[in-house]
Parts: sequence; structure tokens; C-alpha cells
Amino acid sequence: MLGFSRTKWVGVERPDRETFFAHGVLEDNIYGMELDVWVKAPEFVITGIEGKMRRVTTPVCEQAIPVLKNALGLAITAPDLISAVNRKVGREGCRHFANLLLECCDAVLRCAFFEGWSERKRKGAAINPDTYLQEQIKNFPDLKNSCYTLSNAGEQSERSQSKKNDH
Amino acid sequence: MLLTYTRSKHACAADLPDGNLAVKAAVEETFFAAKVEMKVKIPDLEIGSVEGVIERCFSAECTKTTPRLQQAVGLRIGPGIIKLVNNLVGGSHGCPRLADLVLECCEQVILRYTVDPLGEILSKEGQELIEAHKKFLRQNPRLINSCIAFAEGSPLREGVELDL
Repeated sequence: MLGFSRTKWVGVERPDRETFFAHGVLEDNIYGMELDVWVKAPEFVITGIEGKMRRVTTPVCEQAIPVLKNALGLAITAPDLISAVNRKVGREGCRHFANLLLECCDAVLRCAFFEGWSERKRKGAAINPDTYLQEQIKNFPDLKNSCYTLSNAGEQSERSQSKKNDH
Repeated sequence: MLLTYTRSKHACAADLPDGNLAVKAAVEETFFAAKVEMKVKIPDLEIGSVEGVIERCFSAECTKTTPRLQQAVGLRIGPGIIKLVNNLVGGSHGCPRLADLVLECCEQVILRYTVDPLGEILSKEGQELIEAHKKFLRQNPRLINSCIAFAEGSPLREGVELDL
């Protein structure tokens, strides 16, 4: 038998070039909550946040809604974002809001990192994925060593360039 | 207005006939899709097996990281698990998205064993409900200061420290 189930959903809109708007929903057997988060580019700072609790476990939980304001001003590219959100929104408010906020922040960052790729694909431009990653790492230097692929971005192109030079 | 990006993440835990747990987490987003399945030994909360696959990704390089999931086998779901999984499965040699799915699975295990006692508490009302929360807090002292409901000044916390 299924003992527990959780679904999280995040959608990101681009109302204008400087704004990312994320709507996040968390639903599980225990909790139900929603967040609206506004992030301003190019600083990637949280400029607005609103939350709604649909299902909670204690009569105190809803006091965590105004605590969401603690997230204002946080930069979603900051290396200490997770601990800052867990502390300022989670421990001082609600851990499940913090969880959903981190999901929204990560979604905005992914959107920002890859939207140029989607745009170029739509226009039919041919671009090498490795070249795109190298370009974007310049815009998001904190992501450089965040995973295997980004740590090695550029090496593929260097390898193929050096092969060409060998010939 | 059309959405520029979407992410859907689902995780669940199911009881197995042998008493252990089967846990799954999957993510489907605009630029990535992956899933992780784990077997967790009960009552030790030890990760007995992990399988995972990256179904869709931006760069083919990403798929090279799936063998690192095996590093999570043998870990015990408890304090320190987040750092361990992030270092072993994620990080600059791995995939933080796969590490995240492993951690989502771990969270399901904890919540699986929270849902029943919470159901019991929520069947009460008024002062009985508050007392039931206090009892739960005494049984799970790690929750003290974990959120606003269990912070100093909360009626659910009143008098709990004295009993620790």
C-alpha cells in the first residue's frame, strides 16, 4: 500500500525581461501549500513573495506566512541560498514553505540558464550544447563547479579543437 | 501568458510485504527528466538499493553520472544524510539533480512514519490537540526550534523543555 505521496509543481512566467515569476504548489498526505515568487534579473534577487497554506498540522502554522518576507532580498545565485532559506523561512517559519521556495528558486535559475537555448532552437539556430554551457557559465559563474557536466564544459570543444590542430 | 519553464516532481513511499519500503522520486522539467527508485531496510532505515535513470537532459555528459547513485547504498537515513548524498551523488563529479531525487526519497521515508502519529494528533480538538502536539514534541525533541510551531513562545512548546 502507498504509505505517503508528495507532488511539487513549479511554473515560471516571464512577464517582462527583468522579471521571473514562479508559482509553486506542494501537495502531500499531510501538507498543502502554494507560493508566488518574483525574482528580478540580472541580480536574481527575490523582490516579492506571497504564500498560502491549504492544509497544515498545527494552529500555529499560519503564523509562518508573514515570515516569508524574510526571503526578500535574497539572491538565488548565492552559494549559501539553501542554508539562508532553511534558516530564515524554514526554522523561523515553516520548513515546507522553505522546501517549496527552494524549488521555485531552482526553477527560476534553470529557466534563466536555459531559456536562451530554447529561444535559439525556436529560431532554428544551430548551436553546440557545450558552447552554450560555456557561454552561460560566464553569466552564472557560481554554477561552474556545481555538477559534472558544467565542471567539464569546454573540455569537449578543446578536445575536438586539439584533434583538428593535430591533423 | 505561456509558461517559459515547468517542473513537476513526484515522490512516494510504499510498504513492501517484507516490511521494508519501496520509494520512488521522479522529476519532469523543461530541460531534464529523471527518476530514482530505492529500497529502504526497516527498521534500520538503511538504503538497501538504488536505481536511477536520466531520461532526458541538455548534455549527453549528464548520463555519465548515474553510476554514482550506487554510492548511496548502505547510507542510513538520519542526521548527516543530506551532506553525504550531496557529496557522494552530487557535487562537481556527479549530478545534483540525481542527489536531489535521492534526498526526496529519504524525505518520503521520514514523512511515511510521521503521517500516522500526525493523523492521531489531528483527530483531537482544542486543548487535547495542543497536549497531543506537546507529547509528540517530547517524543521527537529534534523538532524543537525546527519551525515556528515548535519555537519558543509557541503554545505547543510551552513547558516542553522542562520535561526534556
